[in-house]
Amino acid sequence: MKAALTPSEVQDPPAQKAARHRRGVREWATFLAFLAPNVLLILAFIYYPLASNIYYSMLDWRLGAASADFVGLKNYLTLFTSPTGLDMWRVTLIFTISTVVISMAIGLLLALVLNRNIPGRTFARTAVFSPYVLSGVGVGMVWNFIFDPQIGLLSHVFAFFGANSPDWYLDKNLALVMVIVVYIWKNLGYCAVVYLAGLQSIPKDLLEAAAIDHAGPVRRFFTISFPLLGPTTFFLIITTILSSMQAFDILRIMTPTGHGTNTIVFELFLQGFGVYQRAGYSAAISVVLFLALFIITTVQMRFVERKVHYA
Amino acid sequence: MSRTSKRFVLGASILGLATLGMSACGPSVGSDSAAETDVDYSDVEPADKITFWTNHPGGSMDIEKQIVADFKKESGIDVELVTAGANYEEVSQKFQTAQNSDEVGDMVVVSDATWFTNFANDSLLPVDKVLESAESDTSTYQETLFDDYLYEDAHYAVPYARSTPIFYYNKDHYKKAGLDDKAPATWEDVKANSEKLQEKKTAKSALSYPKEDAYPAWILGNMVWGYGGGWSSDWDMSAMTSPETVEAVQFAQDSTKDGWANVSSGVPEDDFAAGATSQVLGSTGSLAGILESADFEVGVGFLPGGPKETDKVVPTGGAGVGISAKSSPEEQLASAMFLDYLTNSENTATFSEGTGYLPVRTDADMSKVYEKTPQFEVAVDQLEKTRTQDPGRVLLPGGDTTIAKSLQKILTSDADVTEELQGAQDELQGLYDNDLPDKLKN
Repeated sequence: MKAALTPSEVQDPPAQKAARHRRGVREWATFLAFLAPNVLLILAFIYYPLASNIYYSMLDWRLGAASADFVGLKNYLTLFTSPTGLDMWRVTLIFTISTVVISMAIGLLLALVLNRNIPGRTFARTAVFSPYVLSGVGVGMVWNFIFDPQIGLLSHVFAFFGANSPDWYLDKNLALVMVIVVYIWKNLGYCAVVYLAGLQSIPKDLLEAAAIDHAGPVRRFFTISFPLLGPTTFFLIITTILSSMQAFDILRIMTPTGHGTNTIVFELFLQGFGVYQRAGYSAAISVVLFLALFIITTVQMRFVERKVHYA
Repeated sequence: MSRTSKRFVLGASILGLATLGMSACGPSVGSDSAAETDVDYSDVEPADKITFWTNHPGGSMDIEKQIVADFKKESGIDVELVTAGANYEEVSQKFQTAQNSDEVGDMVVVSDATWFTNFANDSLLPVDKVLESAESDTSTYQETLFDDYLYEDAHYAVPYARSTPIFYYNKDHYKKAGLDDKAPATWEDVKANSEKLQEKKTAKSALSYPKEDAYPAWILGNMVWGYGGGWSSDWDMSAMTSPETVEAVQFAQDSTKDGWANVSSGVPEDDFAAGATSQVLGSTGSLAGILESADFEVGVGFLPGGPKETDKVVPTGGAGVGISAKSSPEEQLASAMFLDYLTNSENTATFSEGTGYLPVRTDADMSKVYEKTPQFEVAVDQLEKTRTQDPGRVLLPGGDTTIAKSLQKILTSDADVTEELQGAQDELQGLYDNDLPDKLKN
C-alpha cells in the first residue's frame, strides 16, 4: 500500500523539483552567459585601466621608460601646489560654467522657437543640430580661419566698423573667450534638440487649460513648461558638465600650447604626451579629474534631483 | 550594511585588487633597466630587415623612398619606412610609448628638442661605436650639427633634416624705404631699418616675431646670444636672468612697444610671403615655400649680431636620426649602415635640394642647388656662425615651452622683463630638479 503523500509532495513531487532545479541552473547559466561578456569588458576596459592609472599616479615615471620610482602622493602634492596646477582649475571652471550655462540658455530659446509652427521648421532643426555631429578638429580649423586677425572673416567685420580685430590668439583672456564661443556653437544643437524633445513631451491640455485661464505665453512658460522641463534640464546639466570638463579637440586645434585655455584635460595631455612626457604626474591629474567628475555627478544625483519635478 | 555601502565596498575591492595586480605590469619600480650598450659589433652580421620611423620632414616621403630603394639595391638590406607621426613631437611620443612593446622602430627621427627626452629614458643607443663598426666616416659631418646630439662624450643621433633661422627681407619694401639691398648686420641696424620701413608704411609690421607655439625661444636665441646672454649656461639656469639676457629681451619688448615689430598671430613666414610684414627671422626650411608664394623679390642674409657677439649667434634646429637601444645588435648595425647611407654627401645634397634643409656633410656638392636657388648659399655659408643651443631650452623637457610662454607674455604686454624671466628661470630649475638629476649619468 502506498504511503499517503504529504501536502508539499503533492504540490512539489521530486520530478518537478528536479525539473525546477534544472530550470534554475539553466536560467543562471543564461544569466551568466549574458552577464559575463559585459562584466569582463567593464573589468578590462574600465576598472583595470582605472586601477592602473591610480597605481601609475604614484610613480615618477616618464612615458615609455622601462623603470620608475615610487613617490607616493608627491605628484598630487605638486598638482595642488604648483602655479600651473592651480591656474588650470580656474580655466576649467570658467570654461565649464560658461559653456554649460550659455549652451543651455540659448539651446532652450532655440528649442522654444523650433517647437512652434514656423515655415522651414525641419530645415531649421537640422541646421541647428548639424554642428554637433561635425568633427571637433574640423570645426577648430575652420574657426581658426574665421578668428585670424589678419585674414579672418571676423577681421573684415571689425574693419567694416572701422576697428581692428583683437589678437585672439595672443591674449590669454581672449583666447579663452574664443574657444568658449566655438565650443558653444558646436554643442548648442545638442541642448536645443534635447530641450525640444522635452517640450514636446509636455501635455498639451495643461497649456491649453492655462491659456483658457488667460495665462500669457511668458506665464505659461515659467509656471508650466519650465518646471516640467526639470528632468530634461537635470539631464543636460549632468551631460554638458561632463563633456565640457573633458573638452579637448577644439582647444588643442585652436590653441596648440594651451595659451589661456589650459584646462585640466589639456594639462593632462601636455604633461603626459606633450613636451614633458611625465606619465606619472599626468596619471595623477586624471585621477583628480575622475574624482572631481564623480563628486559633481554624485552631488547632482543626490541633491539636485530632489528639486526636479517629474510629470 | 546599506546597499550603497555594499556597492562602495565592492567597487573599492575590485579597484584594490586590480591595483595590486599593477605591480606585475608597467614599468619596473626602483630598478635601473638601462639597455646594454657595450656590444662588440665585430662579430655581428647586419640584419636583413630594419624599420625607420619618420615624419618625412619637409615633405620628403618620396626622397626617403628613393634612398631606401637605392640602399636595398646596394646592401640587400630591406628598410621599412614607417610614418610614425605628423611632426617631431608625435614621433617622439610614439617612440616613447612603444618602448613597453616589442614594436619599436630601429631608427627614429628625433628633433633637436625631443632627442634628449628619449635619451633620458635610455631609449637611444650611443651611435659612435656602431657607426665605426659600419665603417662610417663621421669626420665629414658639419661639426656643430653632429655635436647637437653629443652628451657625456657620446653622440645619440646623426644630423639629417637640419635647419637654422636666416634673415628674410622684402626687397621691394627696402627700396621703397630707401634702404640698401642687404640684410642688417646688427640688431641696432634692424631697429634703424625697421623704423624707416614703419615710417614709409611698407607693411602692417616692419618685423614679426613668432608666437609661443612657433618656437620664439629658438628665433630670439640669436638676439640673446648677440647681447652676450643665454637661456642657460649648461644646466645653470641663472643665465636666464643675467643682465645681458634681460637687456636683450628688454630690447625685444621695446621693439613691440615702439611699434616697429609685432608678434604674428599666425606664421611669420606666411605673413612675410603675403607682404604683411617686411622682415622676418625664419627657418631655412621655409625658403622654398617663401620663394614660391612671394610675388616680390626675396632678400636673405645672415642673422644679425648684437653689441657683444656677432660671430657665433646662429642657433641650429631641425632633426637627426637615432638608433633604438632596444633593437638587437644585428639591427643596430644595419641601422648604422643605413644612417651612413642616408646622410652621405650625395644623399644629403639630394635631400637639401628637395626639401630646403641644410646639407649635413662638409663635402656635399651643392652646386646644383645653388644654381637653382642662389639664396640657399647664404643659409649654408651661415653654418660657420652656428652654435649649439643652450640645454635649458633645447634639452630640458618642457624648457622651450616655458621660455616661449614667458617671451609671448613679455612681447605682448607691459610685463616686467626681469620679473618674468625670473619666473621662467624658477620654472626651468623646477623642471630640471624634478625630471633630470636622477636620470642623467654623472
